[in-house]
Amino acid sequence: MLLTFFDKLGSGLLEALDTAGDFAVLSGRTFAAIFKRPFDGANLLRQFQSVGVNSIPVVVLTSLAVSMVFAVQLAFGFRQFQAEGLASQVEGLAIVRELAPVITGLMLSGRIGSAMAAELGTMQVTEQIDALECLATDPIHYLFVPRLLASVVMVPLLTAFSIYVGFWGGYLILVGVEGQSAFVYAGEFYKLLAFRDVQIALTKAFVFGMIIALVGCWRGYRTRGGAEGVGNAPTSSVVTSSLWILIADFFLTKLLLV
Amino acid sequence: MALIDVVNLSKAFGPKVVLSNVNLQVEEGESLVVLGGSGTGKTVLLRNIMGLLTPDSGHVAVEGKIIAQLSRDELFKVRQSIGMCFQMAALFDSMTVFENVAFGLRRHHQLSEDAIRDRVEECLSLVGMRGTEQLKPAELSGGMKRRVGFARAIALKPKILLFDEPTTGLDPVMTDVIGRVILDLKHELGVTTITITHDLKSAFEIADRIALLFRGECIACQIPAEFKVNPDPVVQQFLRGDADGPFLQDPPPPKRKPKEAHA
Repeated sequence: MLLTFFDKLGSGLLEALDTAGDFAVLSGRTFAAIFKRPFDGANLLRQFQSVGVNSIPVVVLTSLAVSMVFAVQLAFGFRQFQAEGLASQVEGLAIVRELAPVITGLMLSGRIGSAMAAELGTMQVTEQIDALECLATDPIHYLFVPRLLASVVMVPLLTAFSIYVGFWGGYLILVGVEGQSAFVYAGEFYKLLAFRDVQIALTKAFVFGMIIALVGCWRGYRTRGGAEGVGNAPTSSVVTSSLWILIADFFLTKLLLV
Repeated sequence: MALIDVVNLSKAFGPKVVLSNVNLQVEEGESLVVLGGSGTGKTVLLRNIMGLLTPDSGHVAVEGKIIAQLSRDELFKVRQSIGMCFQMAALFDSMTVFENVAFGLRRHHQLSEDAIRDRVEECLSLVGMRGTEQLKPAELSGGMKRRVGFARAIALKPKILLFDEPTTGLDPVMTDVIGRVILDLKHELGVTTITITHDLKSAFEIADRIALLFRGECIACQIPAEFKVNPDPVVQQFLRGDADGPFLQDPPPPKRKPKEAHA
């Protein structure tokens, strides 16, 4: 029984190392392929559209909802201490430092990461990726690189947009419902923030964009087993990238706030 | 020197040996048809030639270059001289027929849009698919998809064309159409072809030589006239299309006598 346990532990460890190695190799090949020719501008623009422009409604709705709920909680909490004025300051701090990058990252891992995994997975099981290889086209260069570039550019932009929407979400509750002065809210929102906080938010978003694209493409590229495999690829992509976004968020916060 | 040289090629997936010491040589301009039952490694053979799989032992050489030893860039150069036609066409479903056929031209040649349009039209005409440029693969029938796949494969003017079961799943009439298209391509382009098929009629029309794969080994590779009279019981059973014989590993169910007509 003990031997079976160690046998399972060993094979599980080897499998995990194998998976991590495979992801590292494919990521390395993607970075190496960024500057390779030919440059396919149309393909890149399509990805910008798909990753960025098409994600705006999702980002607006989630940022608005989260910032409004957070404002309600803060207003209620600070009212207990007669410190309602602090609500807008904490709202600004939370949105810029954590909520905007993390919520945007998690939502986009669900929206674009899963789409990438499903698209590449379908291409894999229908031999379209083999067809690319046979047409002397590196799938990493043609499929991974534009998605990675679009994600690392668009996720920070969408995060900046999410901060803007978050400001107005807090405004709706704290000014519209709680009756704070609009002038005071606008001033207090940014009071605890420095330019470095925006830089941290955008750095986080850049890393999250990288995680979303690489995990989504990797899971799709490694799809096996027909319809079941294509079905599993987006789920596994969302779970893996969400997990890595949260882990990366912790380490980036520790690292960048020092 | 043979244009395609398959030397002692072996490939296994886990415990299942798919190809075992296969030797085949294909001369320039020649048309080889590879026959064999399902799961005997025909597609694996083509994938090894394209470098999509790496042999366990032995090698495949195209124009003297050993495929498994090439760098990615060198492999892509060799692949530009080979057109691969997939069993299910493998068209890019997000693109139109025009974009599918133009794909290789846009990636590998600095051509003007007019020159690309002319070449795409020429390729589609060769396979009888002119006028379908703006359709998406989902709007095409199985036979049409295969022909667009052929057009995409010939767009880069390859020296070698590989057809992976081009007629599987098609009705007899469309099977004949595809057979004729392959013959036309062979004569008009003068390319070297390897065709995997189960359809004996088109096999004998297309082939300069016919090879038969049986349990991972190449048991015959002859001109059609000699192949027809090959005394090997496996070859004869395959030609007869009979379930009884050495071809199947598991014995087939017994043949039932046809029911007597009701009085």
